[in-house]
Amino acid sequence: MSAQRTAQEEDPVATLAEGLSIWVGKLSDLVKKVVDTGPIRNVINWARMYSLWPVNITTACCSAEFGAASGARHDLERFGVLPIGSLRQSDLIVIEGTITKKMAKRLRMIYDQMALPRYVIAMGDCAMSGGLFHDSYSIVNGAHEFVPVDVYVPGCPPRPEALEQAIIMLQEKIRRSKVYEQG
Amino acid sequence: MSAPPKPVPLTTVESTETSESGAQTLTLSVGPQHSGSGHMRLIVEVDGDIIVNVAPDPGYVHRGIEKIIELRNIIKSIPVIERPSIIDASNLNHAWVRSIEEIQGVEVPRRGQYLRTLLNEMNRIMSHLYWLSIYGVFLGHTTMFMWPLGDRELFIDLAEKLTGARITYSYLVPGGVRRDLPPGFAEEAVKRTEYFEKRLKEYDRIFFNNPLFTSRAKGIGVLSKEKAIELGCTGPTLRGSGVDADLRKDEPYAAYPELDFEVSTRPDGDSFSRAMVHMDEMRESCKIIRQIVKKIPSGPIRRKAPIVLPRGVAYGRVESARGECSFYLIGEGGDKPYRARYITGSYRNMAAIPAVLLGNRLADMPTAWWSIDYWPVEADR
Repeated sequence: MSAQRTAQEEDPVATLAEGLSIWVGKLSDLVKKVVDTGPIRNVINWARMYSLWPVNITTACCSAEFGAASGARHDLERFGVLPIGSLRQSDLIVIEGTITKKMAKRLRMIYDQMALPRYVIAMGDCAMSGGLFHDSYSIVNGAHEFVPVDVYVPGCPPRPEALEQAIIMLQEKIRRSKVYEQG
Repeated sequence: MSAPPKPVPLTTVESTETSESGAQTLTLSVGPQHSGSGHMRLIVEVDGDIIVNVAPDPGYVHRGIEKIIELRNIIKSIPVIERPSIIDASNLNHAWVRSIEEIQGVEVPRRGQYLRTLLNEMNRIMSHLYWLSIYGVFLGHTTMFMWPLGDRELFIDLAEKLTGARITYSYLVPGGVRRDLPPGFAEEAVKRTEYFEKRLKEYDRIFFNNPLFTSRAKGIGVLSKEKAIELGCTGPTLRGSGVDADLRKDEPYAAYPELDFEVSTRPDGDSFSRAMVHMDEMRESCKIIRQIVKKIPSGPIRRKAPIVLPRGVAYGRVESARGECSFYLIGEGGDKPYRARYITGSYRNMAAIPAVLLGNRLADMPTAWWSIDYWPVEADR
């Protein structure tokens, strides 16, 4: 252990890198401050607000109303919500209804795989508190038990208009929040 | 056919193994996070890109509905019954109230029967349109995603007028239905079904006669007549294989014996014929709706039924959008059933998934798989 440390101290490159990393840390703090207080924050948040791409994960029957909301009459794409297959490119999980114990593990895994910032909408009574199936042996009562939730949408199932409202609320939340504290 | 499911880790690609013949196969896990699977997982083994083994892994939406029914009042169970197939709610509800009425010995007034049939047929169209829109997504045809979902709203509005809810109606109760026809419903229904039939012709033009679809669906996922019967398939999957089996004709219930309609069958048993059976059924349902609003008799819509389930056994079944949906119900004199066995069309058609996929290419999987109209929530219950 001590031999390693002396070797590092003697190595000029390592010393330089260590010194630099302190400066990089200070610099990044400065950048964060500048971004969060200046107009750059508004630009970044504006971009994030209108490109909320949800993951293709459907947990239960509210997916029918999510489908209706993505369809011709309600068209979520006008809010920038475009369902996408890839996890790496998506920012949003819409938890559509009941979460069974089997699905909860997968959902958490998908959440962990997504890149920051990431947002969660819990759609339907079941995703809020278990709803109609609260006394079932195989479900998780509420999405907040394993992922942080940004917006809850009540209803069984919620109407597409309610989902639109939730998306507008999420956009408002993004608009007000700091750039480095999201997700 | 399908090997017993071995524990597969949650990663996408499991392992590369050498089969007995020396060929290299790869086990893929399709779903549950996948635009082409829905709420279930298919463990697919491929050799090159030929599918050599498929093991469905259902149960992602198993909510223990059969147990919940035992704990609830028979009326309070109605919303729970509807949830497995929320896009086809009234047909499932119908199977439940039919089995209750059979035990109670309650007869439904004729107007009530007609109203039940009306909502069932509207729901069949809505369910098929939802199926079609997802089929469009699977095949990368965005127009076919938008159009059916837009036209589905026509019938959702109509059902909302009748029942007060968009898709979960709880409209059928033991003894009849909850509400009577609102004023102006008949004209609106005729107008909308006629408009919708014109739209169906456009669907034919843009999708069903389009080489983009026909070249990918004809001859893909063939399920022979014998195989379909052997596997116990039901609904459009069975009729797409050339078997003329429809509970609305074979065991007429509600107002079906008094209505004129045809059962659509296609002999080929491939994805294309199953898709065309869905299309034909939507046309027939439009005809049925127009007949109902014309022929509907006057009278009461509901007869008083007790909330108690007497001692007895009943088996109520109906033809839902995805096939036969049935309840085996045991009453013991209280307001809750002793036991209710709940079987849905998707649950039966699950057996057909490996049969239609084996031997096809991986790229043909969405076409063949979704043509079965398998709704995982309904199958898991």
